[in-house]
Amino acid sequence: MRDRMNAALGRSKADYTEMRIEQREATTVAFRGRNLETASAVIDTGGIVRCLCRNNGWGVATFNSLEDLPARVEQAYQCARAAHSEQPIELAPIPVRDERVTVSLDHDFRGVSLGDKKALAEAYNDILLTYSDEIVDTVCRYADTFSRVCLASSGGTFIEEERPEVSLFAMAVAREGDDVQTSHESRAGQRGFDFVQGCEDLARTAARRAVDLLRAESVVGGRYPVVVNPLLAGVFIHEAFGHLSESDFLYQNPQAREMMVLGRRFGRDALTVFDDGSVPGLRGTHLYDDEGTPTRRNELIKDGILVGRLHSRETAAKMGEQPTGNARAINYRHPPIVRMTNTAIEPGTVPFADMIRDIQLGVYACDAYGGQTALESFSFSSGYAYMIRDGHVAEMVKDVILAGNLFTTLLNIDALGNDFQWAHAGGGCGKGNQFPLPTTEGAPHIRIQDVAIGGK
Amino acid sequence: MELLEQLLTRSEQAEVVRLRGETTTVEFEANQFKTSKVEETSGVAVRIVRNGRLGFSASSDVYAMDRLLSNVLESAAFGDEVPVAFPAPQAAAAVAAFDPAIAELPVSRLVDLGRQVVDLLLSVEPEAQVNVSLDRGVQHMALHNQAGTEVSFKRSPLSIVADVTCIQGDDILSLFDMVATTVWDEDALGFARRLADKLALARSITPLRTAKMPVLFAPTGSLVLALPLMQAIDGKNVFTGVSPLVGKVGEKLFDDKVDFVDDGTLDGAAGSAPYDDEGVPHRRNALVERGVVKGFLYDLKTAALSGVKSTGNGARTLFRPPAPAPTNLMWPPGETPLAEIMAGIDQGLLVGDALGLGQGNTISGAFSNPLSLAFKIEKGRIVGRVKGVSIAGNIYELLRDVAAVSRETLWVYGSISLPYILLPEMNVVTKE
Repeated sequence: MRDRMNAALGRSKADYTEMRIEQREATTVAFRGRNLETASAVIDTGGIVRCLCRNNGWGVATFNSLEDLPARVEQAYQCARAAHSEQPIELAPIPVRDERVTVSLDHDFRGVSLGDKKALAEAYNDILLTYSDEIVDTVCRYADTFSRVCLASSGGTFIEEERPEVSLFAMAVAREGDDVQTSHESRAGQRGFDFVQGCEDLARTAARRAVDLLRAESVVGGRYPVVVNPLLAGVFIHEAFGHLSESDFLYQNPQAREMMVLGRRFGRDALTVFDDGSVPGLRGTHLYDDEGTPTRRNELIKDGILVGRLHSRETAAKMGEQPTGNARAINYRHPPIVRMTNTAIEPGTVPFADMIRDIQLGVYACDAYGGQTALESFSFSSGYAYMIRDGHVAEMVKDVILAGNLFTTLLNIDALGNDFQWAHAGGGCGKGNQFPLPTTEGAPHIRIQDVAIGGK
Repeated sequence: MELLEQLLTRSEQAEVVRLRGETTTVEFEANQFKTSKVEETSGVAVRIVRNGRLGFSASSDVYAMDRLLSNVLESAAFGDEVPVAFPAPQAAAAVAAFDPAIAELPVSRLVDLGRQVVDLLLSVEPEAQVNVSLDRGVQHMALHNQAGTEVSFKRSPLSIVADVTCIQGDDILSLFDMVATTVWDEDALGFARRLADKLALARSITPLRTAKMPVLFAPTGSLVLALPLMQAIDGKNVFTGVSPLVGKVGEKLFDDKVDFVDDGTLDGAAGSAPYDDEGVPHRRNALVERGVVKGFLYDLKTAALSGVKSTGNGARTLFRPPAPAPTNLMWPPGETPLAEIMAGIDQGLLVGDALGLGQGNTISGAFSNPLSLAFKIEKGRIVGRVKGVSIAGNIYELLRDVAAVSRETLWVYGSISLPYILLPEMNVVTKE
């Protein structure tokens, strides 16, 4: 394969050519209620060629048939020739690498039978179903995927990487009359089968919370001091700030660049935010991004000040900065675009009890069930929440939707907890058509003043 | 031996689906034509019923057919017993979903269309950044099962998606719209003109105080009301009991003016084809008629489990087995011209787009969303864009009393057609 790829690249007439070929096998076992939706394995093989003609633009060819790689390169080249960019497109240089990255998994899921995978998912599903009579529906899904990805570029880079992932998702739906409440838990990692064994508590928690939410009151809408749990804080920083750090939003847009000018104050002195694709064991981690750039820790906010952003080779060149290792593609059907990897808020020193002690009336919001940002505005649905009354966590509330303006909200973070956690949750990030891309979020508990909570 | 025959030596029922597609894409980024793409996809998906148990597998690797066979057998070994029967041949309506004019649309023409969209939007807002993605392609579907059904057809999807961003200081306005069709539409760029109109209207910002007022949902905003309904009519949600519409067929739950239809036979619509992805003919399915619940959407398996027949709504992708999905959804035109609806509003809100569609407990009918695009209506006229506005409610309460539904409808996000919907009163929450 290596020889065939390099031979095809060698004949390209483009200024830069890159080819990525992927061979993937994936297994899914999914239960919905008492029914097995599927227990099946699939095979997916294909590739992508990207060509850059500096004075024209990009051409991309994606394909399933690996028969005639030179023809694919020619197709991508012709596509690039057809484009018509007004300014020449440059790519920031990266070190040439030739490397083979293999994995060694504890209890490799490729050696586990479909019967055993089904038994695992079925056992968790039974925990959900039998928790209480009020549980009327469940979703319980086990999935694993193993890809071999080869990246070759006209710059001389050749990287072969094995990419495993295993995941578990458990959701319970509780119903009482017309009131339907949902809760879910998930776990995912670049790990073996053992990562999703022994997770009975995860299923029990999802079921218990769905039932508890039936009895919870809807939160009264208004503005509150809010303490956010690490899971929700991580999703918040990813959605509300992380996407604005992706330079493909900035690099062609002078007003956006003014808004995200380095040196601008984004938070109070204690706030530090980073993205790091090299942290061992996390879902967003790879040694290299999908252009062959080594990953690393990138500081985004340091001591409250904007100090960095995330780049591909093209955005880095355009903005006169260094590539950061954040060009990622979800699979061979897509070109790499600027994406996050593992994004986090650095911990502070405040214990949780101290954080809530001074709050007479507030909300403790936990987990994120969906959210969206339209650049400066964000909206999140928290999975579950509690009122804070006179310095204590009080009754559970539901329908807690946090919304606001990113800039004012970041400046209103006035306490950072001492209890940092990376979230090993499933799901993924969506951008363009590329969903779900595995990423990780990390944070401590944080306190935000004056948050708009939507409710009745 | 042909794949279907091979499968039938080991199973009572078998279905082989071959999917193939070629798509050409032209992309404008920040107002410039920067990227063009060609995509070729192909693969095989199989299902069998062996000893009464259902199995599934798929492969995009043409050299992996032996493993495809062993994978589907293993899948069936652990599959559920499902009383599903792959269908015998049924005649389908003639549905126009393939147009050589689209299939052969030259790249230069795609570029020209993209350029027109960019120029249109820049003429309203010269400092804006416009991204446009234009795709045209051909999709081939061939299905063969043991009951003798042999279905083969092609479709020619064309889609044009545009987003425009204007930044002034810390105020970011970001708008999005699209068109999707399978037969060439002379007015394909109508969506871009509407986007340009929204952009022009959005220039002036006006304050709004929290208050109860009539709320008019523009078609893109009407999706907030339609989404919980879309979840409720999914046969799977009905079968599992989480849909609020379980057991309510024949009951009047909504205002007379509420109608909801799924129809995969509409000529040229984005979701149209003669058959669904299981070889069952597409047809018109009435879901809600004059406020009365009429039915739900099913694929073969969910129908078999529910003791009903498939409604022709089995949808699949190469790697996912069929599940119920809408084809083209419509809330048909109402009685009142939009101009008349507007004229009757003294103080109100026009909802253009909401943020966080689908978040929260939408299966129960509840929605709570900040609005990414909304306008104040005063004495029948739009007087400016409002910011920091949120609305919340439950469709099972709100749609019991609908003040008016417009005659005018628009296709939004590809394959949903919605009218303007006026609700007499909602609590509109603002930052003021």
